[in-house]
Amino acid sequence: MQHAVGVLESGLCRYVLISYGHNALSGDSMRRMLMELSGDDAVFGHFGATGGYALAARRAMHEFGTGPETWKKIAVGQRKWANLNPAAMMFGKPMTEADYDKARWVVEPLRLPDNCLITDGGRAIIVTSLERARDLKQPPAVIMGMGQDHPSTAVAQSDWMAGPTGARKAGETALAMAGIRLDEVDACEIYDCFTYTVEITLQDYGFFKPGEGRDWLQGGTIEPGGSMPVNTSGGQLSEAYFMGLTPIAEGAMQIMGRCGKRQLGPETRTKSPEIIMISDNGGILESHSCILLRRW
Amino acid sequence: MTSLLRDKYAVVGVGYTAQGRVPGRTSLSFHLEASANAIKDAGLDKDDVDGFICYRQFPADSNENALTPAMIAQHLGIAPTYISQDAN
Repeated sequence: MQHAVGVLESGLCRYVLISYGHNALSGDSMRRMLMELSGDDAVFGHFGATGGYALAARRAMHEFGTGPETWKKIAVGQRKWANLNPAAMMFGKPMTEADYDKARWVVEPLRLPDNCLITDGGRAIIVTSLERARDLKQPPAVIMGMGQDHPSTAVAQSDWMAGPTGARKAGETALAMAGIRLDEVDACEIYDCFTYTVEITLQDYGFFKPGEGRDWLQGGTIEPGGSMPVNTSGGQLSEAYFMGLTPIAEGAMQIMGRCGKRQLGPETRTKSPEIIMISDNGGILESHSCILLRRW
Repeated sequence: MTSLLRDKYAVVGVGYTAQGRVPGRTSLSFHLEASANAIKDAGLDKDDVDGFICYRQFPADSNENALTPAMIAQHLGIAPTYISQDAN
């Protein structure tokens, strides 16, 4: 998004298309990519994205006492949103906390529903100036703030597995650019390759103190009817995986008010969203991007 | 400190595709479908698009060529003055 805004601001472009597409589920490329993510420590059993995030999640359990009791609230909460979204891969497949507890380990401490989906499909967005947006078809989802931060150490050598990740500085930068406080945010669309990614991102953004996520999530905070809806399409855990375009597209659609039964506002007994905070992260928590979108 | 960029740019279109398990499709075809739908959703013509950024992407399927933004733009029938592939 910063890239798109850069070429728009410089005058190089007027309308920027950002696109993603991947036959990830039917093809063999994900398997190949995950093997490429392996280093010398693969001989000790550490390989793939789940392995890397499991390492970080395990460290976080030690550092600030998180664990499956926290992550299950995220997995189950997002599944509720997916069941309001007919396009979601997990639509019509509700999940209870007991279902989560029974799910198999992929890499301990992460169970299958802690992992994102693998999806065939694509997603694209168009970015232009607010001035040009006035002549177009849809209500604009206006970019209020943006921030990036990239700790960029391989996870096994990192000192940020339990945070602060890049989300801390990226979030502060985006909020400062927008000139708002965190409590002015109405909902979040968080890059959710794993449930732990959602917890550490919300924690580093400052929604709760380290280890207090479990309490913060009680009572359906992030679910339909909750006070801080998170990943309202079902997210990558329960809707579809299109990298950062899953959260960005959903944030824009919610701001535009085009989300049908999952629309934030009276339809889902939530606040009508004026401001939505959106994240993307890359590698094993190695890079982070935050965007604030607002209604105009 | 607020920025001069605040409230100056916006997302104005979103493109979806069939999603889930959709066999028999190339990654290119999903880029094209999502892009065409986003352009239409915004109420634009494809000739309006003068910037094209490919989101960071995974390696190609072993039966397919690695995608480049130039290849996608060509198949989409757009002639952007700026193209780029975001890194992972």
